[in-house]
Amino acid sequence: MNFFKYKTKYDADASGHFGPYGGRYAPEMLIPALEELEEAYMKAKNDPAFEKEYMYYLKTYVGRPSPLYFAENLTKHLGGAKIYMKNEGLNHTGAHKINHCLGQALLAKRMGKKRLIAETGAGQHGVAAATVAARFGFKCTVYMGEEDMKRQRPNVFWMQRLGAKVIPVMEGSRTLKDAVNAALKDWITNVRDSHYILGSTLGPHPFPSMNRDFQQIVGYEVKKQIQELEGRQPDMLIACVSGGSNAMGLFYRFLEDPSVRLIGVEAAGEGVRKKGRHASRFAGGRLGVIQGYKTIFLQDKEGNIAQTHSISAGLDYPGIGPQFAYLKDKGRVEFSAATDKQALKAFNLTVKHEGILPALESSHAIAEVIKRAPKMSRDNLIVVNISGRADKDIFIVAKALGDTEWNQFIKEQAK
Amino acid sequence: MKLMTHVVVGYPDITSTIEIVIAMEQAGADYVELQIPFSDPIADGPTIMKACDIALKSGVTLKDCFKVMKRLSSQVSIPLFFMGYYNTVFSYGVEKFCHDAKSAGAYGLIIPDMPPDEEEHEHFIAASRKHRLAQIRVVTPASSNHRLKLNAQVADEFVYCVSHYGVTGSSVQLTKSLVPYINRVKKHFNLPVALGFGISTPAHIRSIKNIVDIAIVGSAIIHTIDSSSSNKSMLSNIKKLVRSLKI
Repeated sequence: MNFFKYKTKYDADASGHFGPYGGRYAPEMLIPALEELEEAYMKAKNDPAFEKEYMYYLKTYVGRPSPLYFAENLTKHLGGAKIYMKNEGLNHTGAHKINHCLGQALLAKRMGKKRLIAETGAGQHGVAAATVAARFGFKCTVYMGEEDMKRQRPNVFWMQRLGAKVIPVMEGSRTLKDAVNAALKDWITNVRDSHYILGSTLGPHPFPSMNRDFQQIVGYEVKKQIQELEGRQPDMLIACVSGGSNAMGLFYRFLEDPSVRLIGVEAAGEGVRKKGRHASRFAGGRLGVIQGYKTIFLQDKEGNIAQTHSISAGLDYPGIGPQFAYLKDKGRVEFSAATDKQALKAFNLTVKHEGILPALESSHAIAEVIKRAPKMSRDNLIVVNISGRADKDIFIVAKALGDTEWNQFIKEQAK
Repeated sequence: MKLMTHVVVGYPDITSTIEIVIAMEQAGADYVELQIPFSDPIADGPTIMKACDIALKSGVTLKDCFKVMKRLSSQVSIPLFFMGYYNTVFSYGVEKFCHDAKSAGAYGLIIPDMPPDEEEHEHFIAASRKHRLAQIRVVTPASSNHRLKLNAQVADEFVYCVSHYGVTGSSVQLTKSLVPYINRVKKHFNLPVALGFGISTPAHIRSIKNIVDIAIVGSAIIHTIDSSSSNKSMLSNIKKLVRSLKI
């Protein structure tokens, strides 16, 4: 029972700084809430009863451990490294987001909060937040950019069924970063009875460290699973990175194993040379302080957040989790990017060869596998994080693939 | 009681911003905040957010804000503050920002998302000191005594108290808890006390008159801009509003 005591040399200092990144650049109205949260989290971390409760629900409610699956057909097809898929898409609610939602909900319960506030992009975090709210008896409000509500309609429907109030955000680009602003403002207003269940490894301290700790279960399981299956540790881990929660979940327990290469994949959208049409922070982003923390943001020359684009609503956030910015500086995590087209191609290939429907976000990670696996030896092991399943993406995928029968169906339904 | 009013630079346009500030001084404003438009103003409600958005869409830059400050500081005699978000300062360069703000005639800075806790990394408060810009600290009813003390150590001129839990422009009921809160602030700050967020009417001002030294009015000015049919009526409506708030 020491799950939450795990530490690495890449962790934040006492005030939440990962080298020059991270911190707590919040307006004064939020700082007391962040201090309260940090204190409650530090206490919970050291309480065996908290860990026991978290593990109990991970097993019985979330359905953990999620399988580590040998993608035999894709491996043969690509003709290189052995490819394993960590299938977080099989979790309750269909993605890794439930891991940190569960942790935060248990924490909010301890703190005596009555209400959860969440932001969501793809809707996976929103659904997971609404789910734990229903399970543990919280009221729940989810902020979602109007643009994302259009893109991820099925998740909106399920959040509402789960009892959450879904509020469309009409400001700015009407996507995830605007939903974060709206959620922060709700928290400023209702900080006494509400917990902000922030959905990634970003934002002011302690969110990046806390969500990482709740997500580390992913890599913790992989370490054991691959040992059982292969008798050794993998050579490479690959995951898509927006804020970074799924990638940090997979990578964290491997940070101090230098033999394991760690690859983060950003969304290249329509190509990283097209300004405003991608979400690769390491292609054109620079250091900034926005939404309560310091990291690499895509921004204009005046420091305003720039427009971004990705086919996947979960990857178009303009800032990267601060620990990832630090890990890149330290040379511990390498970054790459996959375009919308490459992600779709990876999606199709995975469906065809493995009968697995990866979320479009996760398809970006698979696109990187397609680039790398053929160049590697057959003895090499790659683990790719399938952070979620694609049910939510049915409208986007059908549209992108130009499926005429689906279009006909939609038209008929609309009658 | 003193009054601080507020504009978003470039809303509804640059020329109007200059005229509005001059009109405000004529009507009795004692301080004016010139807000630098920013894409993600985290402490602001919908009214100021929209004004920022419109100013940015019309192409207002930080350079424009310096120019407006320069023009105004030569034409009005009341202190003018830059209000903005830290990434604007950081992106431009902290030292350069403070230097240029001072040269343009700014009296002080109100940057709500740069807490003293991060000073060690940013040297922002030090830079504003060096350039003799007043450092206005913002505190809230949620601020613990420890946080009040921390902010008091670096505060100049007056302390900016947020009236309630919420963002700018949100409706406010000035409750009984205001008095103990302001008393708590006064224990830590040896400075005049300003109160803002949701203050928009003469009735509000009267209710806080004996509690604080300065009233801060922001969103209400933008509402007046929005509800005026012409530039001329806008200026006279703003003057009327400011006069009514000067009690």
